[in-house]
Amino acid sequence: MPEGRGHIRLKSLTNLRDVLSVATEFERTARDFYRDLVPKVTKNIRYLVEELAAEEQQHLDLFSGLAQRADVEAVLQTEIERPVDDQKFFDFVHLPDLGERPDDQAVLQYALAREHAAMVQYAALAEATPPGPLRDTFRFLANEETKHKNELEAIYDRIVHSGGV
Amino acid sequence: MRDVLSPFLAWKNLFREPVSIADPLNREAAPRYRGFHKNDVSRCIGCGTCETICQNGAIDMVPVDGFAPKDGDSGLRPRIDYGRCCWCALCVDVCTTGSLTMSNAYTWVDADPDAFRFIPGVDAKSWDDTEDGYRRAEGHHLTLRDRVPMPELEPEVRVGGFDEIVAGYDVARAWLEADRCVSCGLCIAACPTHMSIPQYIAAVRDGDYERGVRLLYETNPFSNTCGRVCTHVCETACALRNEGDPIAIRWLKRHIMDQVPQDRVRAIIGAPAPATGRKIAVVGAGPAGLTAAFDLAKAGHDVTVFDAGEKPGGMLRYGIPEYRLPYDMLDRDIDAITSLGVEIRSDCRVGRDVAMADLHAGHDAVVLAIGLHVGRSLRMPGSEHPQVRKAVDLLRSIGEGKSFDVPRTAVVIGGGNVAMDIARSLARLQKQTHGEVRVTVTTRKEPGHIVADPEEVRECGEEGVVIAYARGPQRLVIDEDGRLAGLLTWRIVPKVDDKGRAATICDDADAVVHPADMVVEATGQAADVDLLGEALTEELEWNRDRLAVDADGRTSLPWLWAVGDCINGPDVVHAVADGHRTAAAIECAFAETAIERTRPDARR
Repeated sequence: MPEGRGHIRLKSLTNLRDVLSVATEFERTARDFYRDLVPKVTKNIRYLVEELAAEEQQHLDLFSGLAQRADVEAVLQTEIERPVDDQKFFDFVHLPDLGERPDDQAVLQYALAREHAAMVQYAALAEATPPGPLRDTFRFLANEETKHKNELEAIYDRIVHSGGV
Repeated sequence: MRDVLSPFLAWKNLFREPVSIADPLNREAAPRYRGFHKNDVSRCIGCGTCETICQNGAIDMVPVDGFAPKDGDSGLRPRIDYGRCCWCALCVDVCTTGSLTMSNAYTWVDADPDAFRFIPGVDAKSWDDTEDGYRRAEGHHLTLRDRVPMPELEPEVRVGGFDEIVAGYDVARAWLEADRCVSCGLCIAACPTHMSIPQYIAAVRDGDYERGVRLLYETNPFSNTCGRVCTHVCETACALRNEGDPIAIRWLKRHIMDQVPQDRVRAIIGAPAPATGRKIAVVGAGPAGLTAAFDLAKAGHDVTVFDAGEKPGGMLRYGIPEYRLPYDMLDRDIDAITSLGVEIRSDCRVGRDVAMADLHAGHDAVVLAIGLHVGRSLRMPGSEHPQVRKAVDLLRSIGEGKSFDVPRTAVVIGGGNVAMDIARSLARLQKQTHGEVRVTVTTRKEPGHIVADPEEVRECGEEGVVIAYARGPQRLVIDEDGRLAGLLTWRIVPKVDDKGRAATICDDADAVVHPADMVVEATGQAADVDLLGEALTEELEWNRDRLAVDADGRTSLPWLWAVGDCINGPDVVHAVADGHRTAAAIECAFAETAIERTRPDARR
């Protein structure tokens, strides 16, 4: 999710379906980013980029599916009652320059940075929004990004810290 | 006439009711009377020691539903035959877990004679819940429970250099330790390469060391090495661990090798089989590659090992410090392998000095045993500073005898055995250079959950290395003059995530700077697969980030095999087992090809 522009764009919205629509677009951008990255990485780490693209597709499907539900507000309310803890592990995993031929660690660090930025952005928007369906939407999105970030942290830990075996 | 009729008169008794009284005495036995057997089958490990000691052959170990074999438990349970048992209770006295006892019940009437062969604890009996009966007296054991102590250098002595810490058993100590073994064989199943452990321990007891060497070399051409650094899962499965110390299997293996001169070892190994004309290339001279080379050379094949290092051994030489594994001991293991005609081309990097395509063209099979030689970096801000080093690179420098500026203060990031190795190596260099040890290890784990071997952690502490637990590295601290000043860490709060996995949550309110003029990253390793080249990398199948191999180590290309750490993770004895498995599979593949070639309709 692009910083600054995304935040301003989301902040100006007042309808939760519009928010979900923008969030879906962000996931589509991320999915396309990883799909474009697939041919640029060596085969032994290609599975990672493909899985990242698939994860973004799942998010895209989730958000676009939610936007079409009549009971979307009730669904969001249920989800945000189970907030996910941010493990902050990423805070000591730093954003790399991907370069022409990124390795698995660089790809994961980049993915973590994207999820972290999205999580922070949605959480900030939730904080700045008065109670109501819109705020619930932002909290839901922050929760989803946190879940995704935690999954990526577990993958990073396995691959980078234990040799992947 | 009466004498003629009397046999027929006996027939009238056939229709009479039996007059036997089932319990004529109805008298309770003494509290410690040795009566019918009981067995706590959940504590029983099926070691069979009761079967072995029984003088009457009254006990058989049999499989039982619900008890599958696992490390340290054969899955078998004792079946007692009361047609043979004399109730001497030797089986109870020798039981390694104390699970087998005797009730004080002594009457059992049954018309079926087969009923008197039963499995205590499985076949329910009226005496199963009796409290009285015979059990082994507290402190009374037929074998010594404590391991014979191993002489080792004291911490204040060993931290001054790289001399081997463990002295090894002398003959008397080794005999005492070997005599503790009950030869149950649970260790054999647990050992990844299934060494004949009870048999070679018996060889120590008999003082027949050449027999011991012969047994060792059936399954492990790295017995000098494994006798020092093996992870000894066998000892974890040892029956004696249940009520005392497990047998020092690793030290006894080393003891055997210490007793036999190298020329006799070579003679015992013998000559290879007649040449087959087959050629195999092995990439990597570590334990997996050299074990495969050993087996294949013994079978008569022409084996060449290509290794990027100055000397063979892989991580055994360039990862394990000499105070754990002296280089001359590793050289003995390697010498025994090269004595079979294996050619090792050191300082020869595949991908630079020779191409994979050339190996394929010139050999009938290629085995990749490339290990995990690439150190991972956390890539924190400041990681590119020249005083931020990777543990595997630093250990290699030490192994190659290359000098470097020994830091006065060092921080090692990581909690595995590699972190311990580099921390203890730096401690020794600091002691030699600066007269004092100032090394701190930071690990994300809590005490008791650190990945390194407990004895490594203990010895680390004894040598003056400080371990800072539950600390997550955040960034390097560099002063205004560009000098490395230390490592900033945050406290790690242990938690389990919603999938039950240990999670890493950092508390940024608890920040500490650990002073250091060198920071060493020992956080993970990877295989260097660049030697494959782009085309081969694309052609091969991958299992996520590892080469995809079948159970025998064969890749998706029929001529290429992969074994050892790069497939199954870092462990010496598993690498040896991998090497054996793949060598056997290559032999099978050659045999199938030979059969194909002899078929009348085979293309040539």
